[in-house]
Amino acid sequence: MFRRLSFSLIQSRGIKHQVNIKWVRPEYVPAYKAERSGDLEALPNIPTSALGQYYALSEEMKNASEAVKKLFSVAHLGKKEYNQLVKTHMISKVKRHQYDENTAETRIARLTGHIRCLQDTMEKFPKNVKAKQTVQELIDKRKKLLKFLRQYDYKKFEWLLEKLNLEYKGHPETYHKLSRKESLRKLTEMHCDDIKNKKLADYRNLLESQQGPFLRKKLEALNFIRNEQIELQLPITVTEQDIKKVEQQLEEWTIKDEIKQQAKKKKRNVLIETE
Amino acid sequence: MARNLAENVRKLLLLGQCVPTVKQNATKIRVKRLELDENLLMYFRKDEFYYCYDPEKKCQTGDIVLIEALPRKLTKLITHQVKEVVYPFGDVTDPVTGKKVAKERYRDDIDIQSELYGKLESAFDYKKAPPRGWQDGKKDFTSKPTYTKFHVFDENDPYAI
Repeated sequence: MFRRLSFSLIQSRGIKHQVNIKWVRPEYVPAYKAERSGDLEALPNIPTSALGQYYALSEEMKNASEAVKKLFSVAHLGKKEYNQLVKTHMISKVKRHQYDENTAETRIARLTGHIRCLQDTMEKFPKNVKAKQTVQELIDKRKKLLKFLRQYDYKKFEWLLEKLNLEYKGHPETYHKLSRKESLRKLTEMHCDDIKNKKLADYRNLLESQQGPFLRKKLEALNFIRNEQIELQLPITVTEQDIKKVEQQLEEWTIKDEIKQQAKKKKRNVLIETE
Repeated sequence: MARNLAENVRKLLLLGQCVPTVKQNATKIRVKRLELDENLLMYFRKDEFYYCYDPEKKCQTGDIVLIEALPRKLTKLITHQVKEVVYPFGDVTDPVTGKKVAKERYRDDIDIQSELYGKLESAFDYKKAPPRGWQDGKKDFTSKPTYTKFHVFDENDPYAI
């Protein structure tokens, strides 16, 4: 008995919601994921048979046999060498000159290469805590560098985003934990706005639909008044310009009305098809 | 007297920075000011926000602009209008020589340096670069305020974090 009572008490404790809105809490996405870090691209297409960065420069490697080449390929040398290749590939996209190592764009490119490698690692080994920490730090550092670059050279900033295929989002006003109450408040506000806008649009439609018949009546009345005045030789108060103006308004209205009717028909057809 | 004067001047012209906003025909301007705390005898920063009428979108986020009060309030919110963009954001000009600057160096000097080292094709070219704004809404999401994602909508809003 008591248990049932307490259960019903707990049930009624939450906010009683008048509006029928279903709130779906956004799923948690780890910060190292590409969608959070702003990387629109995964690792570049580098084959595992590629030679290590410095071995590729050697004279002997050019005439070496297949077996030797295989031994000095990235697949055999390890992940570290492969990551180095990725970084140099990213840097080569934005390099100013051959010896460019430490300008803002090359630093960001290098960080981007490193981040994408670590993201790949995290996909394979989600429990690698060290990689998780490192990639988070690198993402933050890159964001900071991008922020500074944006401040002193906007054109280069935009060019860099395009070249490295990155996304940059500004800082929100506050970083806070999402609460149910806040979300419901915002949703309710949006719902109210929708209702308001819909009512306003309906009223507007109603008024606009009455415009045509009124204009037609007005045109008739004006013509009648003008003809009467001419017949009875009274001073003419309705000029031809007035009549022309009303005619023009009527024409405009008919064109608008036709477009509206067609849109309505289309909507109806779509509805019937979906049913 | 002095306070009155200050208030009247405030109505005339103000210098502020453009901040992101969702308004269509207006921009939000932040005016920074220092306020004296009489107990501590110290100045603390105090921001004031003004909504300025700007249908042509003269200023973009981050620009330093001059604003002036409208003779009549346009709406309850919009009280000022943008008069002039003084310093465009991320496009610094040295006031002494009139040359363009990136951080602490002239852009020309940077170009000369990279040419001496042997300029590569991958290098950024200032002459070919389009004016600011071509990435706005595509990869650069700074023109509108970002917020914490609070619901799963059908359409994904890029400004939700």
